[in-house]
Amino acid sequence: MEQLSDEDLDHTDGGEEDSDKEDQDLDKMFGAWLGELDKLTQSLDDGRPETVQKAPQKAPLRQETNMANFCNRFSMYNINEALNKGGEGVDLDSLMADLCSIEQELSTIGKPNSGKNRLGVPGDAKLRQKPPAGRGTKGHGGAGGSGGGTSSSGGTRRPLASNLDDITAQLEQASLSMDEAGRQSSHSLASSVGTVSEHAVRSISQSSWSSVNSASASSMDSLDSYLRPSEQDGATPTPQGSNQGPPGSTEVGQPVKNKHHCKYNPEREREREREMHSYLDWETSLILQNIAGKPSHLLTKEEQVAKKKAEKIRVALEKIKEAQVKKLVIRVHLSDESSKTMMVDERQTVRQVLDSLLDKSHCGYSPDWSLVETINELQMERIFEDHENLVDSLLNWTRDSQNRLMFIERIEKYALFKNPQNYLLGRKETCEMADRNKEALLEECFCGSSVSVPEMEGVLWLKEDGKKSWKKRYFLLRASGIYYVPKGKAKASRDLVCFLQLDHVNVYYGQDYRSKYKAPTDYCLALKHPQIQKKSQYIKYLCCDDVRTLHQWINGIRIAKYGKTLYVNYQEAMKRTEAAYDWSSLSSSSIKSGSSSSSLPESQSTHCSSDSGVAVSENNLSGHSRSQSQVSSIFSEAWKRGTQDEYSSPVTCLY
Amino acid sequence: LFLSPSISLSLSMAAWDLSVAVEDLGTDAPPITVSVTSDLHIGGVILKLVEKSQVKRDWSDHALWWEQKQQWLLRTAWTLEKCGIQADAGLIFMPQHKPLRLGLPNGLNLRLRVCFSGPVFRTVLGICKMLNIRRPEELSLLRPVEEKKRKKVRDLSEELYDLTEVPLTSVSRPCLYNGMPAHFADSPKTEKVYKMLSVSQPAPAPEAIAKLYRPASVVDKAHIHSRWLDSSRSLMEQGVQENDRLWLRFKYYCFHDLEPKYDAVRLTQMYEQARWAILLEDIDCTEEEMLLFGAIQYHINKLSLSEPQTMTSSPAMDDLDSALQCLEVKLDGANSSPQDMLENLTAPELNDYLKIFRPKRLTLKGYKQYWFKFKDASISYYKSKEESLGEPIQQINLKGCEAAPDVNVAGQKFCIKLLIPAPEGMNEVYLRCENEEQYSSWMAACRLASKGKSLADSSFQSEVQSIRSFLAMQQTNPNTHTDDSMSINTHSLVSPRYSKKYKAKQLTPRILEAYQNVAQLSLTDALLRFLQIWQALPDFGISLVVVRFKGSRKDEVLGITPNRLIRIDLGVGEVVKTWRYNNMRQWNVNWDIRQVAIEFDGNVNIAFSCVTADCKIVHEFIGGYIFMSTRSREQSDTLNEELFHKLTGGHEAL
Repeated sequence: MEQLSDEDLDHTDGGEEDSDKEDQDLDKMFGAWLGELDKLTQSLDDGRPETVQKAPQKAPLRQETNMANFCNRFSMYNINEALNKGGEGVDLDSLMADLCSIEQELSTIGKPNSGKNRLGVPGDAKLRQKPPAGRGTKGHGGAGGSGGGTSSSGGTRRPLASNLDDITAQLEQASLSMDEAGRQSSHSLASSVGTVSEHAVRSISQSSWSSVNSASASSMDSLDSYLRPSEQDGATPTPQGSNQGPPGSTEVGQPVKNKHHCKYNPEREREREREMHSYLDWETSLILQNIAGKPSHLLTKEEQVAKKKAEKIRVALEKIKEAQVKKLVIRVHLSDESSKTMMVDERQTVRQVLDSLLDKSHCGYSPDWSLVETINELQMERIFEDHENLVDSLLNWTRDSQNRLMFIERIEKYALFKNPQNYLLGRKETCEMADRNKEALLEECFCGSSVSVPEMEGVLWLKEDGKKSWKKRYFLLRASGIYYVPKGKAKASRDLVCFLQLDHVNVYYGQDYRSKYKAPTDYCLALKHPQIQKKSQYIKYLCCDDVRTLHQWINGIRIAKYGKTLYVNYQEAMKRTEAAYDWSSLSSSSIKSGSSSSSLPESQSTHCSSDSGVAVSENNLSGHSRSQSQVSSIFSEAWKRGTQDEYSSPVTCLY
Repeated sequence: LFLSPSISLSLSMAAWDLSVAVEDLGTDAPPITVSVTSDLHIGGVILKLVEKSQVKRDWSDHALWWEQKQQWLLRTAWTLEKCGIQADAGLIFMPQHKPLRLGLPNGLNLRLRVCFSGPVFRTVLGICKMLNIRRPEELSLLRPVEEKKRKKVRDLSEELYDLTEVPLTSVSRPCLYNGMPAHFADSPKTEKVYKMLSVSQPAPAPEAIAKLYRPASVVDKAHIHSRWLDSSRSLMEQGVQENDRLWLRFKYYCFHDLEPKYDAVRLTQMYEQARWAILLEDIDCTEEEMLLFGAIQYHINKLSLSEPQTMTSSPAMDDLDSALQCLEVKLDGANSSPQDMLENLTAPELNDYLKIFRPKRLTLKGYKQYWFKFKDASISYYKSKEESLGEPIQQINLKGCEAAPDVNVAGQKFCIKLLIPAPEGMNEVYLRCENEEQYSSWMAACRLASKGKSLADSSFQSEVQSIRSFLAMQQTNPNTHTDDSMSINTHSLVSPRYSKKYKAKQLTPRILEAYQNVAQLSLTDALLRFLQIWQALPDFGISLVVVRFKGSRKDEVLGITPNRLIRIDLGVGEVVKTWRYNNMRQWNVNWDIRQVAIEFDGNVNIAFSCVTADCKIVHEFIGGYIFMSTRSREQSDTLNEELFHKLTGGHEAL
């Protein structure tokens, strides 16, 4: 597994410097936007040439920052979007077109409004003209609205005017630093789009300061840090990339602090969003307020333009919001020691990730395909449940983690539903059951008004804290947790001692605890909080006498913890399997009647694991990019780079 | 007897006197004698009777009751001869619907007019229709536990809500008026009764709980089930008289299609039955479960006290209200200047001096004071307020942590125990607050943060409030303000066993701890959660009967549950065998020797006689559960009464 030094994280663009060509294209583009901003500053200077003063860096000049954010973010959106959906054949041209229109939008909004309004004159004029019109057409409703508008603009103008000195100075400084930032961030922009990989890096590696900055370097955050240092959670506005914090000591607080910065922060996000809206309101709200409720054919040209503008900005904002979704590049290991890398976004469930892996690897659908988390350090593993959020689970890993994510067929995953009689009836011996009865049993267990947890009870071995010795105890599973019978007591409910409640822990299969902890048998399970990654007294180890008991306990705990969700997951998986089977049987020339044979997917899967290496996936990808060769050059280049990055760069392949 | 036609004709033609007591004339009034012939049908007898009584009134509900034979003569087309009635028959002419005192699961006693002539199953349908309880097949009537003499005195004074005047509707699902069935909305008195039906009752005093009958053993629990009335026979036939007391309870523990929207009464009564089952230790649970039950009860009590008005507001009004509110917000928003908006943008935070203690590596360092700042979902602390602009000493992200109270109001100790997950394990951190105020807001913040919510979350204030009100419960000193109606005795939330085991000041913090997991539930959700946990108990839904298995010499206990039968060895007190209905082929009752025989797949046969309960009760339980399981498959809402009787009726049904 690759270990990342802080330098690596900082300069993920190290590899990109060889290929400056693409960078320059993006540079050009970015330069154009920057030019726009320069024009803005100039127009400001023209308006009030005498106000060139040094000012503190904390001026709340939202408009410019937003604008800067705006272009930067939007570019990021496109790139992310491209990487995301490119594989699915989304037309990059349309994205490009979008981008251009937004660019135009920005210049049109930016020039007249931002320039004038801040001078305090034209905005006013507009205001004085509008209200009567509004009143005339709208009656009492309009009166309220325009009145509100007047007062609000009055409120804004004063502080604005008083801030003008600050603002202009600020802007100048901003444009200066923008140049520098531009150089750097255009780097990171060109480098891909790197946003994606860096996103991943920043969300995984939580313990180093530098990763924070490298992550933000690529996005508008870098601009933020120049223009709005006061917003930066009290952090000093050091230029990004230059400050390399020491790798955090592993105190609680340390990673936490970083996380605070690294993680996509919903609060801040909302804040930004509101700024955007305030920006919108500021610019066009006066007009919009007046035209509210007016039929469109009565609107003046100006009003129509304003309305259109507002609409466009709204759409753009929505797209940007979409683009803020956290993404993670993960490496998935296959059973043949090969691995493949893919990107998941924070909204994806394990099921969705499995589906896309299955789509890519052509190994045939089977509900048994699983994503398995193996924690090498603790010698334990767990099959992720289909409904779980993969990104959330993976974020529990430490940066230097030896953990692996396996994509593998595991019959344990849904054995519970294939042979429920072995798990739900509390029997000691395996037996057969008619399908009809199985169904009835499952329905009875999972579809009632409450899920009945199988009555698991019996003697298990419990590892003593900090020792390699195991003690026997009589354990019982209840919906409310795992209990044991204290010494010298009968197993009446009232006397049971609570061993663990299941809300905060997950259940793991222990591997080879016989040698690691001197466990009495090989059939061990462990219970721990998902965030715990190292040896700890908070991890509980249990050992069963035989493998059957182990599986019964693990499945019992899963039922107690997840309830009906588990069954829904299974049904969903089966549905997909059937659908996939139907499809595949149709596509092959021999159309069999849709019987659900279980041998077929298995044979396919063995076939799959032999050839689904990295090579295959790359072939697929190059195929994809070829099909999109007509896409405008900048982005097709960037895209290619991005995919290379995603699939070959050693830096991004953390897992 | 085979009589020749001529003789039978002459016999039938001969008129004879039949004397019938008319209940409505009073017990002292002499019976009315009518002249009848044997081929006169029952309807004709009634007609003559009414004519002769010379009382003008609506007799349509009246029918003849044959006292000696304890049976109704409801088939009016049958002749006297066919019924076997002769001159010596003691017949009583009485109404079929009479008042009955009915104890509900929530302890409420109602007096209402019920059918005494139809099978109890039908009677229950009528009662449930009146009380607006859906799925009446899950309920039944049973005779109450005999009260001790001391109680009898109280019994007379106990409040009885009279609903005998309430007219019955014929609509299958009564239309709601003002949030309640129309027949309740007629008078303020009945409205009040309906509220009591649909809102859970306040917690009883712990002493009251201790006084109530609690089954002490498995056999005691089995005895309760001998009290169920036979669903296939009428109340009169089972010796129930006018104004007798009966209990209405959920009998079959599989609750189909629970829909809070329609099931206000059903849900409440179900909750009450569950609550009492737990409080009276009818069903066993662990300490943790008991505390959680206690916490949910507390929460439900609080909510039912504070939001009774939601009952009456119609959804349409709610919509309008919310629309208006929304509009208001919008207008406000339009008025606020960007400057105001900027001010709102600054995330709320808490800042204060607190003490922190980290029990690490056996160090005995005590609490140290720092300047704390709570922002978003994390706590950072600084040496002093002045240094709070710089780098914090440490910042702790609380997402996913467990925040538990460590509070002793009397001792003025207000600590928050935080268990924060980290790769190395859980980190324990104690925060010590100075006073209740500080504690309430910091604890609320910690709880929100543990769920990943920030201080800006709308639930922050309510969280603070709920912590405060719970702290108030801990005010053991009665001299301090007791105006808080929320303050209740935590001992009334748990069974007497735990009341004895723990003092209030031990119990309260533990309930508080459990409470934080349910504090945000709505009333309905809290009720449902309570029921869900109840249903998840291993002993849930087991009705016990003492039986003797064929070939065995000792008494054993048969447990009947919604999906299986279990055999419990009384000596060991453990389940020794389970039979599932899924594998059941058939069951038979030999009514002559009162023995139940059941055949399962794989040639498994069992047979037993019933000791504590009649075998009809066992038969009905098994048949009833089979019937309940058929419901989900057929989607229609109509109750298949015929099937129920077929499955539960026994030889009477045939």
